[in-house]
Amino acid sequence: MKGEPKELKIKVNGKLYELKVKPKALLNDVLRDDLKLMGTKRGCLESICGVCTIIMDGKAVRSCSILALQANGHEVTTIEGLANGDKLHPIQEAFVNHGAIECGFCIPGRVMMAKALLDENPNPTREEVKLAMQGVLCADVGYVKQIEAVEIAAVKMRGGE
Amino acid sequence: MKDFEYFAPKTIEESLSLLSQYREEVKIIAGGQSMLVVMRQGLLAPEYVVDIKGINVLDYITFDEREGLRMGALTTHRTIEKSPIIKKYFEVLSEMEKNLATIQTRNWGTIGGNLCHGDPAGDPVPILIALDAKLKLKSLSGERIVIMEGFSKDILEVDLEPDEMLIEIQVPVPRSHTGVAHEKLMVMQGDAGIVGAAVSITLKPGDWVCEDTRIVISNAASVPLRVREAEKRLIGKVINGHLLAEAGEVASGEADPPLDVHASIEYRREMVKVFVRRAAIRALERAKKG
Amino acid sequence: MAGKRQVKAKTSVVLKEVEDSTLREEYSIIGKPIPRVDARAKVTGEAKYAADIEAADMLWGAIKRSHHPHARILNIDTSKAERLPGVKAVTTGKDFGGFKWGWSRETRDEEPLAVKKVRYLYEGVAAVAAIDKDIAEEACELIEVEYEPLPGVFDPFEAMKEGAPLVHEDRPGNICVEYHWDFGDVEKAFAGSYLVREDTFQTPRMAKGYIEPPAVLAYWPDSTHLTVIPAKGSPYFPYRILSNCFNLPLSNVRIIQPFIGSDFGGTKNDMVSCDFAAPMLSKKSGKPVKIVYTQFDELTTCLRRHPMWITIKTGVTKDGRLKAIQTKVISDGGAYTRMSPLSNFLTGICMALPYQLPNFKTEMHCYFTNNPSSAAMRGHGIYHTRFAGDVQMDMIAEELGIDPVEMRLRNAIENPKPGKIYETINKLHLATCGVKECIERAAQGIQWEEKKKSERVKGNKAFGIGFGAGTYLSGTKLSGHNACAAMVRVCEDGSVNYITGASDVGQGSDTVMCAMVAEVLGIGLEDIDIKRVDSAHTPVDPGSYGSRVTVLAGEAAVNAAKDVKRVLLEVAAKEFGVKPEEMDIKNKKAFVKANPEMSIPWARLVRMACYTTPGMVIIGRGQSTRGVSTYGLADFTTGMGDIGTNYSFTAQAQEVEVDLETGVVKCTDNSVIAHDCGFPLNPPAVDTQVVGGAYHPGVGAALYCEFKMDKGLTLNPNLVDYKLPRAYEAPMTKVIHVITNDPFGPFGAKEASEGSTCSAPPAIINAIHDATGVWIKDLPAKPEKVFWALKEKREKEKR
Repeated sequence: MKGEPKELKIKVNGKLYELKVKPKALLNDVLRDDLKLMGTKRGCLESICGVCTIIMDGKAVRSCSILALQANGHEVTTIEGLANGDKLHPIQEAFVNHGAIECGFCIPGRVMMAKALLDENPNPTREEVKLAMQGVLCADVGYVKQIEAVEIAAVKMRGGE
Repeated sequence: MKDFEYFAPKTIEESLSLLSQYREEVKIIAGGQSMLVVMRQGLLAPEYVVDIKGINVLDYITFDEREGLRMGALTTHRTIEKSPIIKKYFEVLSEMEKNLATIQTRNWGTIGGNLCHGDPAGDPVPILIALDAKLKLKSLSGERIVIMEGFSKDILEVDLEPDEMLIEIQVPVPRSHTGVAHEKLMVMQGDAGIVGAAVSITLKPGDWVCEDTRIVISNAASVPLRVREAEKRLIGKVINGHLLAEAGEVASGEADPPLDVHASIEYRREMVKVFVRRAAIRALERAKKG
Repeated sequence: MAGKRQVKAKTSVVLKEVEDSTLREEYSIIGKPIPRVDARAKVTGEAKYAADIEAADMLWGAIKRSHHPHARILNIDTSKAERLPGVKAVTTGKDFGGFKWGWSRETRDEEPLAVKKVRYLYEGVAAVAAIDKDIAEEACELIEVEYEPLPGVFDPFEAMKEGAPLVHEDRPGNICVEYHWDFGDVEKAFAGSYLVREDTFQTPRMAKGYIEPPAVLAYWPDSTHLTVIPAKGSPYFPYRILSNCFNLPLSNVRIIQPFIGSDFGGTKNDMVSCDFAAPMLSKKSGKPVKIVYTQFDELTTCLRRHPMWITIKTGVTKDGRLKAIQTKVISDGGAYTRMSPLSNFLTGICMALPYQLPNFKTEMHCYFTNNPSSAAMRGHGIYHTRFAGDVQMDMIAEELGIDPVEMRLRNAIENPKPGKIYETINKLHLATCGVKECIERAAQGIQWEEKKKSERVKGNKAFGIGFGAGTYLSGTKLSGHNACAAMVRVCEDGSVNYITGASDVGQGSDTVMCAMVAEVLGIGLEDIDIKRVDSAHTPVDPGSYGSRVTVLAGEAAVNAAKDVKRVLLEVAAKEFGVKPEEMDIKNKKAFVKANPEMSIPWARLVRMACYTTPGMVIIGRGQSTRGVSTYGLADFTTGMGDIGTNYSFTAQAQEVEVDLETGVVKCTDNSVIAHDCGFPLNPPAVDTQVVGGAYHPGVGAALYCEFKMDKGLTLNPNLVDYKLPRAYEAPMTKVIHVITNDPFGPFGAKEASEGSTCSAPPAIINAIHDATGVWIKDLPAKPEKVFWALKEKREKEKR
């Protein structure tokens, strides 16, 4: 039947959820409207701005560009799943300490993008960092501090200072 | 977005049954990176959506010295970008993927979805034409093989029957001394090319006479266009700068570029000359290397 | 607003004594890297923006929009929409009882939802609230509107034609605003000039570019109280306007500001349909109503930067010194007045900065058109004419054979000596002006002396370096509306609430003001807590625009903290038997200056003040007066007077790479900006503001961004076809701080970042010229434009 809710089993930030969603629901809708995880933003809804970026099965994807049901059986990490209690993830710390955050709207998506990059490639070149940052739009920082923050986090995560 | 009925088949056969049953009323969704945008804009409102993303048997890259490259339709762009096989044998494809949209799009979007979308500005199709690729299509009634060049029919229209699905992309092993390159005009990294060109050049070793060439331009006509008159200027000759400029000019004349917010028709014509030349120069270098 | 009085400029600079700056002492917090107080909430996803906020029983709203750019509304039938199950309220323009609003009393020409006429495509005509978004949108489609389409005008040149259709029937000639200013004698100066040159430049129609679309949640706690949670950079605009609209006393209108995803002086500084529709729908339905725009809504209906056509005529002496500038500015104001009077005023008011200018004349005309309205955007007004002026300066330098850096240095205003003031011909007053040092250090930073000798062309690419100088007003002074206040409340345990109406839209003002309070009180940044603006509790502050927050709200913060300090030092002084002025507070200790061992820790002092006789509640109050006083306000009619409390200065040096075959221009990482913000209160934040201000709206204008229109239809209403600047192309700019310690800003501060918006476009265009010899006078310098210019140049050279 058209629009009939279907079962969705999805792991988000380590927790298993079972819910029923309409087929046309986007993953972004489920994360925000159903699971109330507002950290993942809703921006252009046109697969352009990237503020809705999350990590699914280790890869950065736009949650506005995936039907929720396509995430059935998959594992998702959102910004809420990054910090370890009070302790920020090194990428989060780097963004905070390096002045890479202004209005903050693109930050959750950008941090997830950076995490996906560094998890896959712990020693990226500047070129590779820029290519990752290309996927999330910002309107006020000018990108320089954000690129540098990712590089700083990469060093930290490799055990350096 | 309008509501629809949703199926998530686990096998190819299941999908084909659904296509056969619902025909014009059904749309396949793979990565959905192109499709969801048009659905959200209300330009596409299928009654039934068949989600084939979970059909894992269609996600593969294999290479055989005789058969060549086989890619399953659901191979993601990112997989192609990172594949050691592709980098070794068809580097032009990994280079192209690096410049295709953004990482998020490539992580989820599939090569099959891209080809079936039929965007005349897309990057993969011109290269696959230059590589003389073939596509395997399947329906309940059977299989057919189409050549890449014939697949794109018009803007957003491809040679796919309502009950058919793209299964596999087949790329033959290039002849020796064949070089393939792709260049596109980007203002920002990851842009769709204002124009693009994919060129394949096969040389006779020793005197470097051009034995064969394929020149395909994108975003310069309603489909990725093979500019045969331009190709004729190169075949049988030793390619030099003068000939490349000539080929570019001829290609520009064969083009039928669109006017849009990014460029005028005249500018696109001029850029066809530039990018055919640039892609051909790199293809030539590669061909000489073997 | 027209006026043609000629004002005689004084030929000598008026010197006045001002309070000497005692700002050179060592600070504990100010002037060092200060971590942002809200960074953690943002980086964990905890920070709630307007679209993240929900209320129980909330309804979703949607706007019904016109599909004509200019039409009379003959009838609106909402009956089908009302009958759709799930719809709880419908509203049209008529519900607002003839209410109109505008930027000032004289310019109230806009309705919450159009009643009799629509003036731009997709203007809102009705709205629906329903139990979910889908039903709300479906209901909008069921609303039937009968239109009588009217012919429209779509650019100023159509609008100004004799007999052109009128956008507003009561505004003849489609003139939104015009100014005619005259200082000195430009004709005489041109006659006496060695060289006179006239050029026309064009700036593009731009989107604000923020990534967070407008959103609002509204509800009525009871029938006479309204609460609204909007994405607004100036909550006091909706506060006042909604109070008028719904006939409520200000005390009953509560605007709670969530985290804001940037503002830039656009929609989030001003009202749009959803801001009226949500409260009205909530009133009618009795439930909270939330409306969230899409980027498509934002890019097709919300405010844009004015496209402007600037004709500039300049006369110089033989050694390149400016004698006179005359400008003619035409701008497209769009359908409603909005802030056009200010936007256009700003194109002229700072023309006598950053270079010495003895004669200036201008005429400005802004026209109504059937396009979405134009309004403020970062670099407001000044960037247009600064671009024209600084590019033409290079053109003149080339004609005279003068190095562009040398040309700028010859003309730059000198930094006044401490205690002195520089006055421009139109009576702007500068206590500090670091532009000369900025130019020198930018040139040094980019290694101009070396690089200018190098070969420009390398294969099919050319490299060039260009300079641009910018200025921006700081602490905007715009009449009583700019009054702002702050309170500092000390809790009994010594922790401090800083209560302000000032909006942090991402520029870091919350952080810097907490830092100022902590610095004045002599305690730590971690001891200060700041809450989001809530008009029920926070004192008025006009908001984030005009680069006013650090300077003006900062002044209020400092005064409020000083008030608290005074009270506490009185208590401490009594305790030690000295006079209050003999004591100070530093490092969380109040101590006698002559004998620091006589001290009392902060927390104990506070407890003492609160619990012992007289037992007090410690609240400090502070106001900013600089926003309206000092030298008096600028006069819009004559163009005379200070628009800012002080003025920042910037010089930018940018290298570009031009692909000679395609015309694609890229910024390289050779990029230096020297910025005089008086004193950088939080250096890393200033860096980011300066870099971001140059890149997004500056480089964006120069290379990438423009809305393409076709009879009122936006042809590129998405952030890919409208090329919003991205990360890969961003130059890794270095920022150099030039410190001038301005006496009119708290701790010597002036604005940081709008100045770099003004310096970036000329730097890029001048760099393209340095690389290739072509001048691109209409922005953006898209590849196609550069390509044709290069082709034309090659063909000219052949002949």
